[in-house]
Amino acid sequence: MILHFLGCDTAELSQSWQIDRLRVLAVATEPAEPRPGELVTFSALIVSPVHPLAGSAWFVCDGGASDDFGCSADPALFEGGSLEEADPEDLAAAGFIGFLPALPPAWLVPTDYLDSLEESARLEGSFAMTYLAAIPEVPEGQTVDEDEVELAYKRVPVSLAATPNHNPVVLTWRVDGFAIDPGAEVLLDPGQAYDLRAELTPESFESYTFVTSLGVAEVRSEQPYLSWYLKDGSFSQSNSIFPLDSTVYFSPDDPADETASLWVVVRDRRGGMGWSELRVRFIAPD
Amino acid sequence: MIPALLSALLVAIGPAHAEDPPPPPPAELPPLTKDPALLEFVQAPYPPEAAAQKLEGTVNLLIEIDAAGAVTLVEVLIPAGNGFDEAALDAARQFRFSPAEDATGPVPVAIEFAYGFVLDAAAKDGAHQQVLPSADPADLPVNLQGTVVEMGTRRPLHDFLVRIDALDLETQTDAQGQWQFRGLPPGNHTVRALHPGYDTLQKPVDVAAGEVTTARLWVRNQSYADPGIIGTYRRETADVTRRTISMDEIRRIPGTFGDPIRVVQNLPGAARAPLGTGVLIIRGANPEDSRVYIDGMYIPYIYHLGGFESIINPDLVKSVDYLPGGYGPQYGRSTGGSVDATTRTQFPERHELRWSTDALDSGGVWLGSFGKDHEHGIGVAARASYIDLILPAFLADDGFTVSPQWWDFQAKYQYQGQNPDKFSLLAFGFRDTLFIRTPDGYAQGTDPDTQGDIGTQYSTYRLGGTWDRAWGNHWSARIAPSFGMDEAALDVGDSFHLIQTRYTAELRAEAAYEHDDHLAVTAGLDVIAGWADFIIELPFNPASFAEIDPLADREPYQLEGTATGYGPDPWVNVRWKPLKDPDKLTLNGGARLMYVIIPDENEVLAVDPRFSFRWALGKTSVVKGSTGLYHQPPQPFQQYRPDDKPALVGAEEAWASSLGFEQSIGPAIKLEIEGFYKDLNDLIVSNRTFGSLDDSYFVNTGDGRAYGVEVIARHEPIGNLFGWVSYTLSRSERQDYPDEDWYLFDFDQTHILTAVAGYRLPYDLSLGAKVQYTTGNPTTPYALGVYDVDQDFYVAFPSGDTNSERLPAYWAVSARIDKLFTFQSWQLLVYLDLINALHGENPEFEQYNYDYTEKTYFKGLPIIPSPGFELKVQL
Repeated sequence: MILHFLGCDTAELSQSWQIDRLRVLAVATEPAEPRPGELVTFSALIVSPVHPLAGSAWFVCDGGASDDFGCSADPALFEGGSLEEADPEDLAAAGFIGFLPALPPAWLVPTDYLDSLEESARLEGSFAMTYLAAIPEVPEGQTVDEDEVELAYKRVPVSLAATPNHNPVVLTWRVDGFAIDPGAEVLLDPGQAYDLRAELTPESFESYTFVTSLGVAEVRSEQPYLSWYLKDGSFSQSNSIFPLDSTVYFSPDDPADETASLWVVVRDRRGGMGWSELRVRFIAPD
Repeated sequence: MIPALLSALLVAIGPAHAEDPPPPPPAELPPLTKDPALLEFVQAPYPPEAAAQKLEGTVNLLIEIDAAGAVTLVEVLIPAGNGFDEAALDAARQFRFSPAEDATGPVPVAIEFAYGFVLDAAAKDGAHQQVLPSADPADLPVNLQGTVVEMGTRRPLHDFLVRIDALDLETQTDAQGQWQFRGLPPGNHTVRALHPGYDTLQKPVDVAAGEVTTARLWVRNQSYADPGIIGTYRRETADVTRRTISMDEIRRIPGTFGDPIRVVQNLPGAARAPLGTGVLIIRGANPEDSRVYIDGMYIPYIYHLGGFESIINPDLVKSVDYLPGGYGPQYGRSTGGSVDATTRTQFPERHELRWSTDALDSGGVWLGSFGKDHEHGIGVAARASYIDLILPAFLADDGFTVSPQWWDFQAKYQYQGQNPDKFSLLAFGFRDTLFIRTPDGYAQGTDPDTQGDIGTQYSTYRLGGTWDRAWGNHWSARIAPSFGMDEAALDVGDSFHLIQTRYTAELRAEAAYEHDDHLAVTAGLDVIAGWADFIIELPFNPASFAEIDPLADREPYQLEGTATGYGPDPWVNVRWKPLKDPDKLTLNGGARLMYVIIPDENEVLAVDPRFSFRWALGKTSVVKGSTGLYHQPPQPFQQYRPDDKPALVGAEEAWASSLGFEQSIGPAIKLEIEGFYKDLNDLIVSNRTFGSLDDSYFVNTGDGRAYGVEVIARHEPIGNLFGWVSYTLSRSERQDYPDEDWYLFDFDQTHILTAVAGYRLPYDLSLGAKVQYTTGNPTTPYALGVYDVDQDFYVAFPSGDTNSERLPAYWAVSARIDKLFTFQSWQLLVYLDLINALHGENPEFEQYNYDYTEKTYFKGLPIIPSPGFELKVQL
């Protein structure tokens, strides 16, 4: 902190909102907080600005099942070089649940998933870990560089909660106060500052029951926050916490392309997630 | 022709200046309470050959004075030739002094003395002597009198020559600086005051018939060196030679803000502290393993915010003991080093007001004494920072407000009379606050519990006293009780609050019996007791550490309580000089019992035997060594367990040994080489298997080792030059769990090189420079981040072993120039410090980008000009 205020800063480092390589930005499950025996499906916001995305491999394990990334899979499982060559049973045993886009990931929560917990603890439940590896497409004959693979993980809460969580939803974007229709393209001037807001549906601000360690039930409200991303330009801050739901977008002075995308991801802090993309077209100078 | 003149400049006191050094000092070297004073001056005859050539000169002498005030040895430090040296030696051997004293009574010392020879105007210019009135001058009445007073300090100057050239009359000032002439003819006369080291003063005076004219002659010192002894380097054991660094040296070291505590960071064994931390890293020990004391009182914080200045005003500091290791049983509860600052024990008869202002703060000091014989010395000091007012000019206007503030005060009473019971009382305190305001609407990360402003505050207050007494030649005792309070508070947003108030009572008592020159026994009791009230409010329950689920709802947690603990540590040390010549070989053997009790929670018991020796080889060389055990109780937070369960951690242990060699090279240069090895056991580390509240957060499974060689070559402050070159080659390693790999200590610095020099120029100008080179601190490399989608950040995975890489080396040059202006009753010192003068871009810490694919460095201070001034007024 002192060093920062003495003039030492990290401005030369790339910022988290800058999308300049393959990135996993968000993962959502449906339902957001499953019960034992429910089928869980997955979706992800993956952006790959340099190479096309080849796909993403998905695994699910119990929480804390592995000290390393991913589940405790036998490396020999993938020695054939392709998941298609692996034995489906071996893959399932390793926690493999899908490969986007060919095999949409899905996970059936075991019915006994919470049996190890005491009755009262099942209301708050536990979680399973989902691991994914987003892999870029490379020209035929070349191998994927490990550094270009994006690794990520997400927890899947499993509980018997009376008020299970739901994913938040971005209703619309507002640029300088004007609501933008879903799918619309916004015309912006280069080198300008724009106030950006993301409005959520009212249902995104859920109230839920939390049982304390003393067994007291409390009604709480979610405090979602936003994460902003872009390919060209910059933000005044990369996160916004409700009720302050805005950031300032500084469009590039000299855009690299005529069009660009902005993304916003909303997290409800209980594992629920949603996102939206805003297409931007820069007005060419006269 | 005028016979020899003199000047007595007590520049440094210590037995280590001579080419043929005196024997080692006695077991303990407490600060002097009284400097020696010249009672009988002997004028040397002016060397005929020098007079014939109309030469003048000054001979710098080293004079050793025994406990009775007699001169036992005189040597020439800086010769003048032309017969001056021999004449000065013969004269100085006949001097007589009042003895120097410390708390135990008269003690032998050595002083530097400048003996000057100047010619009178007649001898210089060949002027004709005028014939005096025929009457015997002794029978004539005094009709011109006065005093010679030093400008700036208003100090009366004795043994000054006062002349009226036109009448070829001369006289000399007495001990009160007074002079007089008898039977001068009425009219205007020009009076001159002369003395080597002072500008010659000429003043016209009118003498009226039948009247007595009084004139005060203000003379200007050509070099206002502060005579105070201030720093002690490496009093490792009771018998290791004391090194002194004068306050005048310390003030001239660039980049230290004149702070005596910071100076120890330029000495061997002390690693460079990362910018802004001010931590003490001594011989490869953790910062918390070294302890700092003020007059024997333990204090948890020694520096103000940022580590630039210590919390005690330099004008009230008498000496600083720096003990990097191998110290005797009088110090304990630490496995690292110790720094013990002793406050001033002598206060001036004439009241003095000092004011200093630098880039960080301003403060004043008042020094004086009261009583018939000025036996009651008092000093009061206070400072306050204003960096919070300056900082905004250097910060980006991004809406953040950073407000660091501090203040401190000290008040000291010292009985400095002749009564055998010596008392002192010291009160001091400080408060530091740092407030960081975040602009509205700015997200501090994504956690709702870390949003908002940050404020921290800590403060310390102490009241302590000392009583010293000696009975005859054998027995002496000291008792030093103290009481104090420490407060710490931290607020992060609305959810995180910490308030702690801690009360500490200490008692240090020791009794010494010195049988004869060969045997002495000292026994002591070092008691510390403390109790604390604390309130901790967290947005989460610490029990959740056992199973971290970031998606789980948090339960606010509040812990409120009290804690008590005490530790009565007895110790004993026996000093034995077995050979017929007692100064040839000194052996010290002792032990300390460390006993720490935290009722119902923890008890730590350990015995620390310690041994050291010092063996004089010839007259210029000394071999010394030490070995011993050192135990350190766990830090309070390491012992904490919820629900008052017994703590599960014990003391850390160090077995430390050293072997060194000292060599005098001429009167001014000393060389010292010392090797050390420390074996660290039972180090406290985080418990990796922590799974429930039944487990301890910390365990004693760590080991460590530190070893190296330290070298210092020092030019004593003789003449216009002072300085030293200090080099440490060392390695410090840790192992957290048995059978795991060893790794480098976080602050391991293989090479630590510091060169400091100061040079005094004419016209009260001084130059100082410091060059510092250190190996960069170890770092752990990271090259892969895995994205935690729920928490929106990347989790780092090391790409190499712990601390397997290093920061680039640190390299900095600082410079300082100062100029002293002297007026009749006040002095003004103005200076300019140039910190990092060559603008080295020194990395302090690594910083990765969000996903650990890029790395850069937090760099150190840019080139910073830091002006300041010091004002000293004699009241």
